[in-house]
Amino acid sequence: MNRFIPRRWQRWINRRIPRSDVQLLTQKNLFILPTSAGVVFAMLLLLMLITGINYQNSLIYLVTFLLGAVFIGAMYQTHRTLAGLELTLVEAGEGFAGDDVLFHLRATAGKQDAVAVMLSVDDTGVGIGHVPAGQSREVRLPVTSLSRGYLRPDRIRIETRFPFGLLKAWSWMRPVTAGIVFPRPVAAPETPGVAKEGDQTTAATRSSDGNDHAQLRPWREGDLSQRVLWKRYARSGQMVVADWEADKGSPHWLDFDRFAGAEYELRLSHLCWLVVERGKSGARFGLSLPGQAIEPDAGPAHTVRCLRALATWGQQKPRDAVGLRHGTRQDPDAKASASIATGGGL
Amino acid sequence: MISGYFARKSQLKADRLPSGALLWLVASFALLLTPQVGRLPLWLLSVCGLLAGWRWLAQKGRVRLPGRWLRTGIMLALVAVYLVRVQGSFTVDTAASFFVLAVGLKWLETRTARDFYVLFYILVYLVAVNFLFHQEIHWTLVNLGAIFLLLTALQMLNAPDLPGGAMASWRRLGGMLLKVLPVVVLLFLFFPRVAPLWSVPLVSGQARSGISDTMRPGDISSLAQSSERAFRVTFAGEFPQNRDRYWRGLILDTLKDGTWHQGDTESFRPPGRVNLDGGVGELQVREYDVLMEPTDQRWAFALNDSAAVSDNIAEKGDGLFRFRRPADSSVRYRLALESSNNPVPQDSALKPGEASRYLQLPASGNPRARALAEDLRQSASDLEVIRRLMNRFREQPYFYTLRPPKMPVDGVDSLLFAEKRGFCSHYAGATTFVLRSAGIPARVVVGYQGGEAGAGNEYLVVRQYDAHAWVEAWVEGQGWIRVDPTAAIAPDRIESGLREAVAGEGSFLENNWASAQKYGNVPLIQWASQQLDRINYKWQRWVVGYQGQSQLNLMSRLPGGITMKELGYITAGIVGLGLLVAGAVSAFQMRRGRRRDGYGRVLSAWYRLCEQAGVPIRYGETPAAQALRLAEAEPAVADSARLFARMINSHYYRPRSGRRSVQESKSELKRLRRLLVSMRRQLRRAGKTQ
Repeated sequence: MNRFIPRRWQRWINRRIPRSDVQLLTQKNLFILPTSAGVVFAMLLLLMLITGINYQNSLIYLVTFLLGAVFIGAMYQTHRTLAGLELTLVEAGEGFAGDDVLFHLRATAGKQDAVAVMLSVDDTGVGIGHVPAGQSREVRLPVTSLSRGYLRPDRIRIETRFPFGLLKAWSWMRPVTAGIVFPRPVAAPETPGVAKEGDQTTAATRSSDGNDHAQLRPWREGDLSQRVLWKRYARSGQMVVADWEADKGSPHWLDFDRFAGAEYELRLSHLCWLVVERGKSGARFGLSLPGQAIEPDAGPAHTVRCLRALATWGQQKPRDAVGLRHGTRQDPDAKASASIATGGGL
Repeated sequence: MISGYFARKSQLKADRLPSGALLWLVASFALLLTPQVGRLPLWLLSVCGLLAGWRWLAQKGRVRLPGRWLRTGIMLALVAVYLVRVQGSFTVDTAASFFVLAVGLKWLETRTARDFYVLFYILVYLVAVNFLFHQEIHWTLVNLGAIFLLLTALQMLNAPDLPGGAMASWRRLGGMLLKVLPVVVLLFLFFPRVAPLWSVPLVSGQARSGISDTMRPGDISSLAQSSERAFRVTFAGEFPQNRDRYWRGLILDTLKDGTWHQGDTESFRPPGRVNLDGGVGELQVREYDVLMEPTDQRWAFALNDSAAVSDNIAEKGDGLFRFRRPADSSVRYRLALESSNNPVPQDSALKPGEASRYLQLPASGNPRARALAEDLRQSASDLEVIRRLMNRFREQPYFYTLRPPKMPVDGVDSLLFAEKRGFCSHYAGATTFVLRSAGIPARVVVGYQGGEAGAGNEYLVVRQYDAHAWVEAWVEGQGWIRVDPTAAIAPDRIESGLREAVAGEGSFLENNWASAQKYGNVPLIQWASQQLDRINYKWQRWVVGYQGQSQLNLMSRLPGGITMKELGYITAGIVGLGLLVAGAVSAFQMRRGRRRDGYGRVLSAWYRLCEQAGVPIRYGETPAAQALRLAEAEPAVADSARLFARMINSHYYRPRSGRRSVQESKSELKRLRRLLVSMRRQLRRAGKTQ
């Protein structure tokens, strides 16, 4: 039962705030409640009212009403500070597991100045500060990553307590675009030797054309067509690829199967470390993962490509959890601005 | 490259407090102390100043805040000093001192926003406490100013980087206060003033300046140096003559060790609930309305032959009136003069107990005064004795002075026969002594005599220097008659007040340089102080005194018989309506469209253009891709569209370091707009040709 209400609440919020990389804060998706300081303040006002009644003191009444009205006025001011603000996810960040991944966001103020705005995810936050009306500010919000894969914060909270800190107005952005978290690099035992003892790999055969040290394995997606043994295909109808042992065994190839016996995640961590190391030294290297191979290359772009491959190996790209209901349309404006946002990630 | 700062939330909270916020908090504390300066002990004030200064220097980085042990030590020491000083009495006064001490100590450990809020709450409540002590309009303004500063401090705490600093936050705050002002006024008028829920401690336990219930000769002459207001009186008709303005307060009938006391000491009664209903409506004929400053005593001052009209006072006997609760704040009450042609039924004789009480004298002392009484007694009637004593005062060189000599032994003798210089209390005491020695029941009456007209002759102001002591003697057949030796010695004092009476001596308010009354002969000062007093009087009667009965009285003038219940509904209605109006206004403002930056506007125009050209905007598409599709659909605009997309792209994805200045982006925007216009034109032309 006590799980029931929060779950209903979550569902209600999720329906109210659909996943989007751009969020315009309006009365529909802004929430406002007194902070704990505000609750204490309300109790203080009650105490003052009682004091006024018991001492029959008109001026205490007056100051109580004044502060009460200020409290109500602050409610509108706090709400208006955020209303009209547009929050855009410009770029979802990338980083190593366990580090803070920086999400690049932009806040554009509406007609009102946005003052003392805070962005936060879980327990990390970043202050945007003051955004004058009509202008925008860009911030990088650190999101703590726990494990490799796609990192998509369920909610990014945007909050202000301006002007008095007695009330907080907040909303959430539920981004569509996910950041990518690379595996945590773990120093790999330097084993240039062949991963011969690999159990799943087919036994090394001597192919008919006399190439030594070639391993044969079934074709998988991503294998280059030059590698396919077409003669064999013509003979048996099986697509078989020759993995040159000379390549595999050389330090140029970083192979998933090289750390047989280790857990998959650990293997990925080792590979990650190797990729980073190779990337630093500027060496040429290729990456071979089950179902995926990246041809040897060098340079930062290649390194990042490999890291991304390691990060997302075996992971599903997160999709919008709640699809739009049938017949609903998005505000063309919001949709359009979103295109700008996601464009940055490309 | 990116504005903003990284921090864990917990770190944000533990951050250094913004100096601006702290500064305004200290300023409001200083402002809140000003009404208390006369009341708080000096040690407390200096400790508060010291601790606040320490905190400020620590903020500036000059000194360090004390560690936990030192802090605890300081706290324990100061609380101990406080407890010793207070000695267990609990009143609002002592509580307020403790508040001030708590604020002072809190300065040392104000490190986090949480501490800041604690201070804020205490200071807000200190405003309420201040209002218990002072309700004058200038103190009201001071307190409201402190509230303003407190709210400024809160704003600074929550938005330290707001450009414009204090001025900007004042503008915001001022605008907000203006908007909520109508609601505050309506609430003030209509919020039902319910009766006190329970009885509360007295505001002050300290004796205030004013007359006291004992009289040592010379006591009242110290009051004569004070020009503080005692009370103000409005009469239904004409003011009584100055010589008839004897405001009786209490009767002192027991002489002990040269000091006059009240015979029936008023036994302690719990203070009871606050009752400020001093009568409402127009004054009836012969009624008068007194607004008394706080005395912390129960006694009310009344003219001879008065009867209570308002129910916050009750007659005690002997023509004296008492409040149901000590006057710990200013209080208004109403009395009526009984018509003089309806003589008070005079009992033929005093009760036996009373006779001995009013003839009580010490067994010995002042032999010459007793001899004088014997001498006077030769003449037959009591009246004759009194007349001859007054004649003695009138004919012999007795002087009325604010600088009486010290008369430590046999005070009556030295006053009557040696010094012949004294103040009203000396002469009243001596007269009572002589009359009692002569066998005439007599008593000292203490109160005020006189009072000067306020601005526009609307009301009388009676001040502490009008404090007076006189004598009442019992005469067979006539009852208690007033005997005032001062009237015989210095008729000016009774006819026109103390100023005239001591004009020759120059001792009027001689130690009170700041008092406006001292300069009563300067017309401008006189006029200004009168007008100020009138404003304060109106303020106290109509705003401060707007309570219970006065509210219902005002409401009864409105149509539709409003009672307490309706007031509750009206209050709820005001709050609801206020919320609704504010909500509607803010929704309206939201709907009027939000302002975005120039690029945003240009982009939406571009989207509209694309949609019109039959190229729907797809989610997650770059402008370049859109331009490509637009170019396919409308080859006429292909070049412009591509250029547009390139410029938009370069604006949004340009590295920060390459950002343009305001001028540059302005001209860029202009180009973008021109491009849009030309694309529209091209589209139109293309449509026509097709």
